[in-house]
Amino acid sequence: MAPTEEFEPRILGFLCNWCSYAGADLAGVSRFQYPTNVRIIRVMCSGRVDPTLVFEGFINGMDGVMVLGCHPGDCHYLTGNYYAERRMKSVKSILEYIGVEPDRLLLDWVSAAEGERYAAMVKGFTEKIRGLGPLDKEKPVEELMQKLIAAREAFAQHRTRWLVGKEKEMVEEGNVFGDKVSQEEFDKVMIGSLRKEYVTNRILLSVKDDALSAREIANRLGVPSKDVVRSLINLERDGSVAVAEVSDSSPKYRRI
Amino acid sequence: MGVKGKESTIVDPKIAASTPVSSRIGAVLVVGGGVGGVQAALDLAESGFKVYIVDSTSSIGGVMAQLDKTFPTNDCSMCILSPKLVECGRHLNIEILTCSEIEGITGKAGDFKVTVKQRPKYIDVEKCTGCSECAKYCPVDAIDVFNEGLSERAAVYVKYPQAVPLAYMIDRDVCIGCGLCESMCLADAIHYDDQEGERELNVGAIILAPGLEEFDASIKSEYGYGKFRNVITSIEFERILSASGPFRGRVQRPSDGEIPRRIAFIQCVGSRDTTCGNSYCSSVCCMYATKEAVIAKEHQKDVEPTIFYIDMRSYGKDFDKYIERAKEEYGVRFIRCRVSSVSEDPETKNLRIRYENEEGKIVEEEFDLVVLSVGFESSEGIRELAYRLDIELDEYGFCKTPIFHPLETSKPGIFVCGAFSSPKDIPETVMQASGAAACAEGLLSPSRGTLIKSKEYPGERTIRGQPPRIGVFVCHCGINIGGVVDVPNVVEYARTLPHVVYSEANLYTCSSDTQKLIKEKIEEYDLNRVIVASCTPRTHEPLFQETIRESGLNRYLFEMANIRDQCSWVHMHEPEAATEKARDLVRMAVAKASKLEPLERLSLSVIPRGLVVGGGLAGMTSALALAEQGFQVYLVEKEKELGGFLRHIHYLLDGSETKKHLEDLIEKVQSNKMIEIFLEAKIEEISGYVGNFKTAIAIGEDREKREVEHGVVLVATGGEEYHPDQHLYGKDPRVLTQLELEERLSSKKFSGEPQNVVMIQCIGSRDDTHPYCSRMCCSEAVKNALKLKEVNPKSEVFILYRDIRTYGIAEKYYLKAREEGVTFIRYNDTNEPRVVEQTSDEGGKVLAITVFDPTLGEEILIEADFVVLSAGVVPPKANESLAKMLKVPLNEDGFFLEAHVKLRPVDFSTEGVFVCGMAHAPKSIEESISQARAAASRASTILARDAIEAEGVTADVNDRRCNGCGLCVLVCAYNAIEIDEEKKVAVVNTALCKGCGACTATCRPAAIDLRGFTNEQLVSVINSF
Amino acid sequence: MTSVEIKSESKKIEDMDKEWEPKVLAFLCNWCSYAGADLAGIGRIQYPPNIRVIRVPCSGRVNPFFLIKSLQCGIDGILVSGCHPGECHYVSGNLVARRRFAVLKSLMEYIGIEPGRLNFSWVSAAEGEKFSRVVSEVVKEVKALGPVKRLVKGE
Repeated sequence: MAPTEEFEPRILGFLCNWCSYAGADLAGVSRFQYPTNVRIIRVMCSGRVDPTLVFEGFINGMDGVMVLGCHPGDCHYLTGNYYAERRMKSVKSILEYIGVEPDRLLLDWVSAAEGERYAAMVKGFTEKIRGLGPLDKEKPVEELMQKLIAAREAFAQHRTRWLVGKEKEMVEEGNVFGDKVSQEEFDKVMIGSLRKEYVTNRILLSVKDDALSAREIANRLGVPSKDVVRSLINLERDGSVAVAEVSDSSPKYRRI
Repeated sequence: MGVKGKESTIVDPKIAASTPVSSRIGAVLVVGGGVGGVQAALDLAESGFKVYIVDSTSSIGGVMAQLDKTFPTNDCSMCILSPKLVECGRHLNIEILTCSEIEGITGKAGDFKVTVKQRPKYIDVEKCTGCSECAKYCPVDAIDVFNEGLSERAAVYVKYPQAVPLAYMIDRDVCIGCGLCESMCLADAIHYDDQEGERELNVGAIILAPGLEEFDASIKSEYGYGKFRNVITSIEFERILSASGPFRGRVQRPSDGEIPRRIAFIQCVGSRDTTCGNSYCSSVCCMYATKEAVIAKEHQKDVEPTIFYIDMRSYGKDFDKYIERAKEEYGVRFIRCRVSSVSEDPETKNLRIRYENEEGKIVEEEFDLVVLSVGFESSEGIRELAYRLDIELDEYGFCKTPIFHPLETSKPGIFVCGAFSSPKDIPETVMQASGAAACAEGLLSPSRGTLIKSKEYPGERTIRGQPPRIGVFVCHCGINIGGVVDVPNVVEYARTLPHVVYSEANLYTCSSDTQKLIKEKIEEYDLNRVIVASCTPRTHEPLFQETIRESGLNRYLFEMANIRDQCSWVHMHEPEAATEKARDLVRMAVAKASKLEPLERLSLSVIPRGLVVGGGLAGMTSALALAEQGFQVYLVEKEKELGGFLRHIHYLLDGSETKKHLEDLIEKVQSNKMIEIFLEAKIEEISGYVGNFKTAIAIGEDREKREVEHGVVLVATGGEEYHPDQHLYGKDPRVLTQLELEERLSSKKFSGEPQNVVMIQCIGSRDDTHPYCSRMCCSEAVKNALKLKEVNPKSEVFILYRDIRTYGIAEKYYLKAREEGVTFIRYNDTNEPRVVEQTSDEGGKVLAITVFDPTLGEEILIEADFVVLSAGVVPPKANESLAKMLKVPLNEDGFFLEAHVKLRPVDFSTEGVFVCGMAHAPKSIEESISQARAAASRASTILARDAIEAEGVTADVNDRRCNGCGLCVLVCAYNAIEIDEEKKVAVVNTALCKGCGACTATCRPAAIDLRGFTNEQLVSVINSF
Repeated sequence: MTSVEIKSESKKIEDMDKEWEPKVLAFLCNWCSYAGADLAGIGRIQYPPNIRVIRVPCSGRVNPFFLIKSLQCGIDGILVSGCHPGECHYVSGNLVARRRFAVLKSLMEYIGIEPGRLNFSWVSAAEGEKFSRVVSEVVKEVKALGPVKRLVKGE
């Protein structure tokens, strides 16, 4: 790994077609200069940016990811950027949970008329990431990858996607019983569900090749062993893991 | 009361105050769907009443459904309960109202109107298939109540996989209403707009079986429950042991999933404890803790269980033998002490227990897991229910019942059973449930049959001429089978066998979801024979036969392979050989099934009269209970007068007298026109079968012969006091038995002078010749000690005991005796007390008792004016000949052996014969009465019917082959075969034929064959090797 | 014999000969012996797995022909078990069976079938332990006799 002073961050940017991408173009037309570290993927709307894509970016070596959309109220598709906002909030909370600085993800708004703002934003974000250093600094790459993959899988589950999709409706309009769910209550369920999925997926990754006891898994994951036990109970019930052997007094689990 | 004819027998003044006979409602409400409620419901429905079961949870089954095994037989709890739940679930005359509470009640005995509030489930029970897709995706984690918080469930959930009814519901408390379940449900069963419902039920009687709650262990903070993850309650441990529990039956601890080697059980948590207000004994914890220790050891060989207890209260039938086995075979360690505290090592999460050992030393010991044996207590919900129904509770919040009416609440027409009236185990609960059913049946007998529907089966499919198409269902039975036998292998193998067109494995083949599945498969694969490879046909065959009958197949097109009781359980250490055997057993079943033919069941008439053997408390009570229901009864007593053992009991623990009760009872029996009494009578012969017995009785001194016909037999032969031959009994007039002491105390023959009295427990109990506990002697001793103290408080009473077994509420009087200065000194087998006569300082002859006092750590000598021996209960000698005549078994101790220790405590496997009272085992007055009523209830399920269906397995003669030699007539023990002299062929009377097949095996030209066990079928099985 | 001894007994049988295991067919009456076998299961009393059970209503149902047929089919030993005398659910079926069995046994001896291959016992519904003991003994005895040769078809 190159020393920090020579570190050039790799940044992925998801830009919405109608505002931010046009803003970036305007920056070019206007010849506003900004760092070369950003690679852009054009999407039709920031609402298109699936949380799993953010993790995909990190898994593929990005040190930072930015998601830029239209200003609130200006979305070409009316509400896509609101969805993006809620989604990225969940992504940040999980990033924090797994020990990745949440600042490595940026969500912001750039209109088609804001070329200068775009250039400044890229510059600022690049500097911030430069300051944070490489994503895999001081961490064994393998463990980091497992964490990121587990987090991506957590966002890929049907139930978490459902919640992500229903958040706005449930909080702002009402749930199936016609009651509005408070943001606090929703976040509790949402984050709880994501964390649980994350722990579950990390366990599954850990016991793919080795048979491990709950205690060993807990040590590896840095999660309390009683939580690991609970996840193992569910995994065994679903038929995803089984006790492969019992050594001494430790039942060791392995992925089926 | 308008009385005439059959109804003239109801004399209970309480009931007399109720609704007129003609307008009584032939329906009963059962509150609580645990094993008690279920039993009461089945009894009532079977004897002609409409039943509603109201349960506050989402399905029936209660606590018993949560248990792994049951003591003392280690029967799998779910396996024995599940068939009853299934039967309830599909009974035409039982309606189950789940998630429901009683709101209010009006009316009186015979005609109640009850308002029931039903909480919304948000899922349509009728539409839900129980597929579990919704729960799989639900994003909300809620605690899994059924697994006692050890695992998680979704906000949409079903209580447990074998739940009846098997339908999911939404827990509105945790659901956030995201709507995912609706999108996943293919059955379109989810209705978020479900509303709270209200039902008004019109019933004639109410049976309360709400059970009890477990004590909240966190109140006893010194044990660290709720603080330390590895301190769990016994019911949580039960879930850990269960194959359907969180760890699939592996013994693991919650903190880190490690296998705990050193497991401690702490007894009496929330029982026998005045500090938490529960001074009663919860009656079942000693046994269930021992059972859990034994099962843990069975699941995990290197587990070392230790039980910390105060007194070992293994007072029930065959319980002491179980404790002995736990000690000797399983190495369970028993330590007598009170545990003072539990602390946790924050690093390892292991626990340290401090206790004072028997020598008075403080000991500290480390354990990996601590199980708290929590007692039972009343709950807020139960108090609320009692308030709404306006019934009285006792000081502990249990339902208040008079001793001589243990099943009646303070309100006429409302009856009680199970743990609600005092803590009790499963068989006691089942007995009370049947007993409470008998009370309701007695009250409502004029309206019997007015509100019921009869079952209509689809027409039977003709299978004649069709080649066999066999379906094989192999049961995992949790891990009971699957843990030893390679079930998938057996399933695969079954597929390769001739005529097998379908085979599959089930977690529990007996569960109600599987019944549905079997029916689907019968249709889908056009099956015409069904095989279940699971447990024993002796318990489960009827269930599966019913299932296939419901899909249009004749009941007899069914065969079972017993791969559990006779395979996985007995070859636990040889999985390969056991699998091989299971394959063979399935192949044999297939060989037989391919030859099965439909059979018809003959309808037999029922003589609606009962024969009760024994005129003691149990006999008279059951005779009255039958008479109340309008059935005629013959009551046979060997003595010159009625009363039995109760004649020698003069007062009760609470000091009240028994004499009046006994006189009342005798008077009621004697004046009842439906009861014919034979005194000084001896049964000489019993012949016949269920519905049609014939009994020869010799009556009075001159042995006058009388022959009676009846449909059922109730055995109530009672027990006798053991006649001691130790401790100078019979040699010194100052050595008495408890009954003799009681006689003197009640006839005021005891002088008011202060006396030194030493009582010695377990005389003729728990010894080599009588290995069982006589159950009542501890309470007897306490009762008489209190009486002695009452006569003269200066009297010194010593009770030398091994364990004080004043279970249940009787514990209160044990405490009282201690308070009043009765001295309790414990002895054990190695240092039994010795009684000698010696010269006192004053020169008189006194009785001197030497006993080792463990508290003082030395031998002490007590001089006594009287020595009272607590002599046990022994079975009457005549049991043996009666058992032979009835063809029912006795246990090793000489008491009658019931059909099933847990769930059929008053039945025999021989239909139409029932047992109650001390003929079954030593028991208390309340228990005898409950059981007597239970026997009457079970009997009425037969007597209430016009006819019963006989077995289809009977002999059949092929006229063309028969040469009329008459060999079959000679071997037939039932005189069921005659030779038609004209045609020269044998003719079988199917009503008399019991289907033993002795004739078939004798017949030379193979003309007579046994349906269901034909030569062709059995040879086919043999040929399969 | 305690169940522990039975365990070691069946273990011994295993060690003796790994290659050949006898097949024993048992005809158990439904009311006593079959229930006794179930009770052995409930008590988890272990016994050798060589036994295969055919449930019959009564030991009196067992036709001598079945026994001969079994030997022909390669069954090495047979156990017929019924209720104790006087306890038969069908009054006297077990006594009929016993008599019939004695006759058959002497006939079998005459044609060269070792008496140890045919066994008769009384096991009640309460005798789980006795059932396992009987099975262990029969298996041990048949094992010592070796495979059945006479009567087997094709040999």
